[in-house]
Amino acid sequence: MEQMKILLIILFSAVFVDNYVLSRFLGICPFLGVSKKFDQASGMGIAVTVVMLIATAVTWPIQYFVLNALNMGYLQNIVFILVIATLVQILEMLLRKLSPALYKGLGVYLPLITTNCAVLGVTINNIIDGYSFAESMVSSLGCGLGFLLAMVLFSGLRSRINESNIPTPFRGLAVTLIAASFISLVFMGFSGIVENIFG
Amino acid sequence: MKKNIKNLSVFVCICTVITLLLAVTNSITAPIIEKNQNASANAALLEVMPNGSGFETVDKSSYTLPATVTEVWKETSGGGYVVKLVTSGYGSDMVIMCGVGADGVVTGAKCISSNETLGKEKTYGESFAGKDSAAVDATDIISGATKTTEAYKNAVKDALNTAIILGGGDVDIRTEEQILQDNLTAALPTGEGTFEKLFLVEDIDVSDSIYVATNGAGYVFVIGDTFIGVDADGTILADGVENAEAITAAVALIQSTTLEEIDLSAYPDLQKTVVSAKKTSTGNFVIETKGAGYGIKGGDEYHPASGEYIIVRVSINPDGKIIDCLTVYEAETDGLGDACASESFYGQFDGKTEENYTEIDAISKATMTTKGYIQAIERAFAAFNILNGGEQ
Amino acid sequence: MSKNKSLSVLTNGILKENPVLVLILGTCPTLATTTKVTDALGMGLAALVVLLCSNVFISLLRKIIPETMRIPCYIVIIAGFVTIVKMLIQAFLPDLYSSLGVYLDLITVNCIILGRAEMFAGKNSVAASALDGIGMGTGFTLALFAMATVREVFGAASFAGISIPFMEAYKIEFLSKAPGGLLVYGLLIALVYAVTKGKAPHKVSFSCAGCDHRDTCKIETCSKKEAQA
Repeated sequence: MEQMKILLIILFSAVFVDNYVLSRFLGICPFLGVSKKFDQASGMGIAVTVVMLIATAVTWPIQYFVLNALNMGYLQNIVFILVIATLVQILEMLLRKLSPALYKGLGVYLPLITTNCAVLGVTINNIIDGYSFAESMVSSLGCGLGFLLAMVLFSGLRSRINESNIPTPFRGLAVTLIAASFISLVFMGFSGIVENIFG
Repeated sequence: MKKNIKNLSVFVCICTVITLLLAVTNSITAPIIEKNQNASANAALLEVMPNGSGFETVDKSSYTLPATVTEVWKETSGGGYVVKLVTSGYGSDMVIMCGVGADGVVTGAKCISSNETLGKEKTYGESFAGKDSAAVDATDIISGATKTTEAYKNAVKDALNTAIILGGGDVDIRTEEQILQDNLTAALPTGEGTFEKLFLVEDIDVSDSIYVATNGAGYVFVIGDTFIGVDADGTILADGVENAEAITAAVALIQSTTLEEIDLSAYPDLQKTVVSAKKTSTGNFVIETKGAGYGIKGGDEYHPASGEYIIVRVSINPDGKIIDCLTVYEAETDGLGDACASESFYGQFDGKTEENYTEIDAISKATMTTKGYIQAIERAFAAFNILNGGEQ
Repeated sequence: MSKNKSLSVLTNGILKENPVLVLILGTCPTLATTTKVTDALGMGLAALVVLLCSNVFISLLRKIIPETMRIPCYIVIIAGFVTIVKMLIQAFLPDLYSSLGVYLDLITVNCIILGRAEMFAGKNSVAASALDGIGMGTGFTLALFAMATVREVFGAASFAGISIPFMEAYKIEFLSKAPGGLLVYGLLIALVYAVTKGKAPHKVSFSCAGCDHRDTCKIETCSKKEAQA
């Protein structure tokens, strides 16, 4: 029961309070880049969530059973980024072969994910925070869902911005960032909630 | 294919070169990083022992230390110990660091992690610096943050005891409850430390209190500081007991008394206030009643959202005198109203009658709880009058 | 390489093609490490060192690194230098290390560095690549410094940790929180546009034109847009 509560707290904080995009700024490039349309935003969000989960499932054992065992913690960064890049490649090839329909929906976003800081960030953070394997998986799920939520919410807002008349210097990215700031402000309201729900 | 192998070998070469570079950098920086980390770990220890020069971890597995102690460090020049303790305050755990000098005086105490609501634990540690065991005992608990500060104080006491034990001394680290159980077991060894206080339904005045072994081994009568064990057959285990006959008689009375449940459906007036009522074979009543706890605003309806009832059990003899009183259930505020569950409060009602039951010391800062408790006793007397009258 | 050209390579990154304010690259550290001026400078300089080293190294090896394996090679080289810089900071600047945290590791995936490797160092001489690294790194550092100055002075009433008493009553704490970062960044981009009167290559939106992945990216809209352009 206690364990369940910890997992729920990790999940909800990752989605709402410590939202990777809006409060930690990880994965902000795709957040600004691929959030113009709802289907793009949701596709990217789901792809990131899947890659985060697989990457964590692979990197966590590597860290604890290979790097720590060999006393080579300093290779963490290189190994993790290579693992993520390889995983993304394999996933892309598998998707293309096994399910062309799914590939059309998600596969196109995969190459963008290799250098997505959210994926590398979540795998490293899970190690830094000393999470167990189960906790790491839940935290990755939470971060992915948080990313998806932010993307989808923001895509709705952006379609409104596109239809508005904006002063020239603010057109494009400037107004997008300011709009993102307001969404981030809304998410700030979640801090403290999680502890009160489960505490 | 050949090209692939060539490409791959270039990649492997680059990986190897980079790994070598990393290994070299690591061999240079690792000792410095470790030194830094030790220094910052020591910084936390130095905060509670400013004069410490170096610290080493003590293997605590070879000592019997208070349960709150999680880690112990020894000052390398013999200046004392730093103890890390985890104790539960008001609904959350507090992690406390406490330094104890070689002379048994607290060098400093600090709460390094807590979730306490009032934040009193943040500065409370400062009040311990420079105090020895007796002075720590005399340190005031902060009212309004009783649980937090009491737990803090007990942790500091545990730290002082830890230092004595590690120094080769002998300290009683048992809690009051453990001491009581140990004394009871000494009087009745077959009870095996499973004693509970007996709720009296009969007038028995040979002892201050009676404990029953929950494994059925017998009873222990406590008279002052003397513990007299009586086995289930009524045989007194100690020699030369003054009022042995009275004790044997009391055991016989306890064992022969039977309780009969009174059907409350015959008394519609009592159904809202009385939880249950029983009558003993000797004519006494055991009545459980509800009193409005803190947060219940009048009325007798049950409002879980606005507070909970206190449930009180009293036994009353046919003359209308309270034989015994016990708090069965309460959900009052921690550190304030929950004092109604302690014997020092409900024990005040023993021997009281309908005339003088309100003459008790109220729980400080918990007026509503005290009122609710008195309401429960009042309802018990009301029920007693009806039930007793009904019999006549 | 003529003196003029090398100067323009150096200054390109600082002004005309400032990676943060004009090319809009490396947004994560720009937002995450600019609550304090010291953190921002630390992050900027760390990225500069990594950028310089990886640019030089990649440029040295540009004839050896096979075309098909170049991205994994670049990633390994960059991640290696990031780890070296990280270990050095951990050893000699432990305070900076603890305040930058995971963002030091994330220099690996900073688009600026892989972007410069791909666009510049892989094609140019060692000297030019070094200058490019210094220029881009300086541009990055200056942009972070500007962001952090605004956020720390107005958000926390201090500068590089030294408090500014007369600002205390007027500080807008929101600026040093997450949403404040996004807001200040947006305002700075608009300001750069207004000051340069649109002469700086202004991105209408975060489109594929400036995306590092446009070669590998298979989103159809990208290739369409490129075709239109």
